[in-house]
Amino acid sequence: MGPDDLLLIVMLSALTVYALLGGADFGAGVWEFITVLRASDKERQHIYKAIGPVWEANHVWLIFVLVILMNGFPLAFAALSRALWLPLLMALCGIVFRGASFAFRSYGQESYRERKLWEAVFAIASTATPLFLGASAGAVASGKLAITVTGFYEADYLSGWLSPLAVFSGFYMIGLCAFLAAVYLFREADQANDMELVELWRQRSLLTGIGMGGGALGGLILVWLEAPSLTGGFAARGWPLIILSIGCGIGSLIEVWRFRSKRAVGAATGAVAAVIWGWGISQYPAIIPPVITSDVAKAPDNVLWIMLAVILTGAALLLPALGYLFVLFKSRP
Amino acid sequence: MNMIATTTANLLPARLQMAFTLGFHIVLACLGVGMPVLMLAAEWRFLKTGDELWRTLARRWSKAFAVLFAVGAVTGTVLSFELGLLWPEFIGRWGAVIGLPFTLEGFAFFLEAIFAGIYLYGWDRLPKHVHWMTGLPVAISGFLSAFFVVTANSWMNNPTGFRLVDGKLVDVEPIRAMFNVGTGAQTTHMLVAAYLVTGFCVASFYAVRIAKGSGHEYDRRALTLSLLLALPFAPVQAFVGDWSAKVVAKSQPIKLAAMEGLFETQRRAPLHIGGIPDLAARKLNYAIAIPGGLSWLAYGDINAEVKGLNEFPAIDTPPVAVVHFAFQIMVGIGTFMMCVALWCGIVYCKTRAWPRSRFFLWSIVALGPLSILAMETGWVVTEVGRQPWIVHGYMRTTEAVTQAPGVWNLFCATLAIYLVIGVGTVAVLRQLARLPLPEQKHGA
Ligand code: HDD
Ligand code: HEM
Ligand code: HEM
Repeated sequence: MGPDDLLLIVMLSALTVYALLGGADFGAGVWEFITVLRASDKERQHIYKAIGPVWEANHVWLIFVLVILMNGFPLAFAALSRALWLPLLMALCGIVFRGASFAFRSYGQESYRERKLWEAVFAIASTATPLFLGASAGAVASGKLAITVTGFYEADYLSGWLSPLAVFSGFYMIGLCAFLAAVYLFREADQANDMELVELWRQRSLLTGIGMGGGALGGLILVWLEAPSLTGGFAARGWPLIILSIGCGIGSLIEVWRFRSKRAVGAATGAVAAVIWGWGISQYPAIIPPVITSDVAKAPDNVLWIMLAVILTGAALLLPALGYLFVLFKSRP
Repeated sequence: MNMIATTTANLLPARLQMAFTLGFHIVLACLGVGMPVLMLAAEWRFLKTGDELWRTLARRWSKAFAVLFAVGAVTGTVLSFELGLLWPEFIGRWGAVIGLPFTLEGFAFFLEAIFAGIYLYGWDRLPKHVHWMTGLPVAISGFLSAFFVVTANSWMNNPTGFRLVDGKLVDVEPIRAMFNVGTGAQTTHMLVAAYLVTGFCVASFYAVRIAKGSGHEYDRRALTLSLLLALPFAPVQAFVGDWSAKVVAKSQPIKLAAMEGLFETQRRAPLHIGGIPDLAARKLNYAIAIPGGLSWLAYGDINAEVKGLNEFPAIDTPPVAVVHFAFQIMVGIGTFMMCVALWCGIVYCKTRAWPRSRFFLWSIVALGPLSILAMETGWVVTEVGRQPWIVHGYMRTTEAVTQAPGVWNLFCATLAIYLVIGVGTVAVLRQLARLPLPEQKHGA
């Protein structure tokens, strides 16, 4: 196992954490969007209180994934920027509006109307961002981006990410975020012992959970139809994780049903993490299939070793701090 | 053929886009580096004296910081995407050399974000002293992220730490790349600039309130604290700037020539103050020239030879007028700042109080926006002065730019979006400023 493999593991882990924590934050906004901002003040308070302290930290995971890709696999970073610039820009636009509106909403002392405006911006941007990030991920997974070994892109700027699989991934990502948010907020409501909210988020978890299960089947069929190389990877290596994911998904529904919020969170987390790792392992060693593999894109080995050393040292500082943050704000109501 | 046409057409909008988004982010970044220091100072006074007013001040500042930090984070995210979206060749080719500072910066942000969360939401949850201590990492990692990112920029000016063999990168040494000849001066100058900008902007805000007649103790304390941050750094900055100029003289003589509007190579080169470069006649009009001044500043010897623009091929010359004007503005403001600081210092030594004159108050008011202007023009000197190179001597900006369509549209959209964000930020800050103050205990 070379340093590039280790770095890929780090990157996939960071991506997983972003999908879980960032995804849940997105999901909270998605719920605002789906319910057309009809949430009562109490519900909204619950949401904002849950995200407030961890908001920035959850966002940094994305930056982290970006810098690892930029530094460790510069060619892949450049190639993705060339091929997917449009959806990435749209996602970026979403990120900007989401972050700004959240801050304005939290710290402004403005009138009712202004606050409503920022809440609406927050809801729309929270829904748009996973849509475009998901579509970009789907475009990569499809293995159909016309990228050359030198990292150049040879097709027009729409075809790559408007394939059925990519579009599907975009919408699926929105659903996934909503599901995660529902389960996490179910847990928080349970901790706070607020029966009204518990019931609300329990129902929403069940609803989206069932939807996501059905969607997953459709997704597998699309992969099978559209992405033969990924299908091959699933068959060869990825299948145990896919099964794990399905198992966890069903498990989480059962736990939600039985009001066991802690276990439900664990199972939902497992379901999402397993999908990401299943995808990564199945397309390994490709970063952008078919031609951009880790060998083609990686920086020289000594650079990768230095990065790994930095990451290890950094993690020794960060993880305790992150733990402290979560213990402080997440373990007591 | 077609590809080359897109590339040149994209160059201008891509540069404008980069310059605008960076110029916006850097203001927030400066405040993100400096505000934690002010909050911590105010809270420290509270811990020492137990006076609730200090705590109110620290809390208010921490709220303003929270907003600025959030907007700083999103505009920074824009930048990291943009490095790829606007300059894919640059990252694809040099990412391995320049990536390390960005990775380190990633960690610094992470620490900052974690502790910012704890500090901002922990006011009522943590014991007083512990709360103060959770603010320390915020200040330290703000400092570090500025340091790391500027090393990346310094490398673009002074690329080292790699070799090119047949156009291929070999022997990449990211640590050597980070610590290049420009690193010391550039990072120091930038960090001092960040504290100056924060100090003067905050001071400017309270000076306006006092000038308008507020006699509240709260405003006076806020002014004192922010001036204590800014004023001592003002003279320091002039010396660090001189250090920067000496480095530039050695490593990028053409940039120095453009900064000074020096068209001909000469011994005993004059230091120019003001002046309008006339590119056709290749001379600088209407400047005040101090004979030997430039030679002395750049090399410590009034007879040293300084290279002029005539030494370099025209295609390697940056836009002289922009660089020259920007440099004059920065140095002018820096000098003014230093004078105000010295004046204050003298008055304070004599009377143990700030100068009382109206003029002093209005200088402080002006120095808020002026410090931002100095910092922005400083960046224009650095970045425009490096043109036409994106990596000095190795890659031209034209070679790095994206070939995607629609960069002008992107730029226009960005202007519109940032306008909304800018207006929103200012609106929220003003709302925070309007919160009523606690009753004053001892009469004004
Ligand atoms: C408050 C801000 C501020 C003030 C008062 C000054 N500067 Fe500055 N200057 C900056 C803020 C700045 C900056 C924005 O931070 C730059 C841009 C890049 C950098 O490293 O610092 C900069 C760049 C910069 C450079 C170019 C460095 C390079 O290209 O590598 C030089 C030569 C100077 N400065 C010199 C001076 C001098 C002689 C000053 C005298 C008073 C001065 N600066 C005041
Ligand atoms: C934060 C303060 C900064 C400001 C205000 C700033 C300003 C600018 C300006 C004005 C340009 C346009 C040059 C031209 O049009 O001639 C530019 C270009 C650029 N800057 Fe900076 N810069 C800053 C810091 C940085 C840093 C820290 C980096 C990277 C590590 C960086 C990377 C670039 C790149 C990639 C370009 C595009 C290529 C070019 O035109 O040279 N800049 N910047
Ligand atoms: C001299 C120039 C720069 C300085 C001093 C600086 C400093 C900072 C600071 C202190 C922050 C924390 C947010 C805040 O406190 O407001 C920040 C955020 C950020 N900056 Fe910059 N920055 C500079 C230029 C850049 C450039 C060129 C990039 C990208 C290539 C960049 C990327 C980012 C990112 C991604 C964040 C967000 C991190 C987060 O999520 O917390 N910055 N920057």
